[in-house]
Amino acid sequence: MTFVRRSVSTLFLSLFFLPAMTVHAEDFLKQGKKIAEEGNGSPGSVACMECHRLNGGGMPSIGSPRIAGQTAAYIEHEILGVQKGTRYAPVMARVVNNLSKKDIRSVALYYASVRTPKLPDVSPPDQALVALGKHIAQKGLWKKNVPACVLCHGPNGRGVPPHFPYIEGQNKGYLLRQLVSFAFLKRKDDPQGLMRGIARRLSQRERKAVAEYFASLTPPAAAGRGN
Amino acid sequence: MKKGLLFLTLAQAGLLLWGGPLVSPARAQEPVTFQPPRDSEIPSGPFGDLVRKGEHIFTQTGKYAGKYVGNDLTCESCHLDRGRKPYAAPLWAAYVSYPRFRSKNNKVTRLGERIQGCFRFSMNGTPPSLDSETIRSLVAYSFWMSRGAPVGKKLAGQGMYHMPPPAQKPDPFRGKKVYAARCALCHGTDGLGTKSGRDVAFPPVWGPRSYNMGAGLAKISKLAGFVKMNMPLSKGDTLSDQESWDVAAYVDSQPRPADPRRIH
Repeated sequence: MTFVRRSVSTLFLSLFFLPAMTVHAEDFLKQGKKIAEEGNGSPGSVACMECHRLNGGGMPSIGSPRIAGQTAAYIEHEILGVQKGTRYAPVMARVVNNLSKKDIRSVALYYASVRTPKLPDVSPPDQALVALGKHIAQKGLWKKNVPACVLCHGPNGRGVPPHFPYIEGQNKGYLLRQLVSFAFLKRKDDPQGLMRGIARRLSQRERKAVAEYFASLTPPAAAGRGN
Repeated sequence: MKKGLLFLTLAQAGLLLWGGPLVSPARAQEPVTFQPPRDSEIPSGPFGDLVRKGEHIFTQTGKYAGKYVGNDLTCESCHLDRGRKPYAAPLWAAYVSYPRFRSKNNKVTRLGERIQGCFRFSMNGTPPSLDSETIRSLVAYSFWMSRGAPVGKKLAGQGMYHMPPPAQKPDPFRGKKVYAARCALCHGTDGLGTKSGRDVAFPPVWGPRSYNMGAGLAKISKLAGFVKMNMPLSKGDTLSDQESWDVAAYVDSQPRPADPRRIH
């Protein structure tokens, strides 16, 4: 009896609050889009779209990553990492240091919600490197204690929400720069140092090959989804 | 008294930082010398076809041998690197150590029969018959991979790592903390694995879609040895022996399908 009464009251309450919650989420998205378009309004603030475009396609020419459809949890974690300095990103650091927690949440939700086709990369895939990269990505290089990339990043690198980003169809400049950052620079936001260890054990040619391979693919519409 | 204790602690800390001769027992193992053949060495013709078929079944068991599989695992979930990784029960060592006596069924067992056991327990499914294409392909794949391995000898890297006895009794409560810190990222706090779209990305380690109570890994010592050498992926041998024992005790204390030999 108590159970029934409680369920009825829960139902009633949720009916009451549901519209309010929806508006709340929409507010976040709207605010996120605004920040993406023009920054958060504080002096010197730069818009995300300057490098990531409004639809999150990124800019292969400068190695700015595609972020459309990446999970909100991942985008938020990365921006916070840049703010804290655990993720090496000299350009991005100046852009995000004045974003509030709410701004970050909003902009993460916004970019997780947008979809965009793949943009042309800076050069056609180097087939010899793609073949080597494909082997490492799909089968691993276990002699160097490097498991197949797809074991953690999902089939063809389409992502495993929420922690493992999609890398399928990401631009090659970005992919290579991140592997180098994990290996030698100051990107330290990977859980348990997994990527740092792996990136360090690969040779520069192997890092390049993996970047070429994933860049040669078509990105998923959103992390964890097929094409 | 207190000062003495402090000094002792400092000395211990210093020893740990220095870390010279403190080699973990796993690393004191005999080095693994056997190298399985490369993919490019698979011959053409009917034998090569069967080997390739075996590899497909091995890595995508649900897709290529679905009617025998009752959960979300593949052969490769435990036999890492397509059955090639030392201390993850590699096929090259398995092939040359069968037939062998097994107390599990009290007889000299052939490799095909052993693989039937994998399907029944680890895959929580139905064993394929010995002359089925599934068993024939998996045996061919193992045979091909063992080329050049000495028969009847103990090979370094075979089976799972054999854990030395734990310093303290394995404790699931301590293990739960290890699990949260080192395993939950991929296998989920609920142990049910993680998906990418409809595909299984990280296998469930307990629950209805994991190995059953009759599987080898349902034994704490086996699971501890597997975890110690292989988990987390690319970070093998970073958990202490005690942590491996504890986390194995935790995982194997969780619910999973019953041992089919005990269902009447």
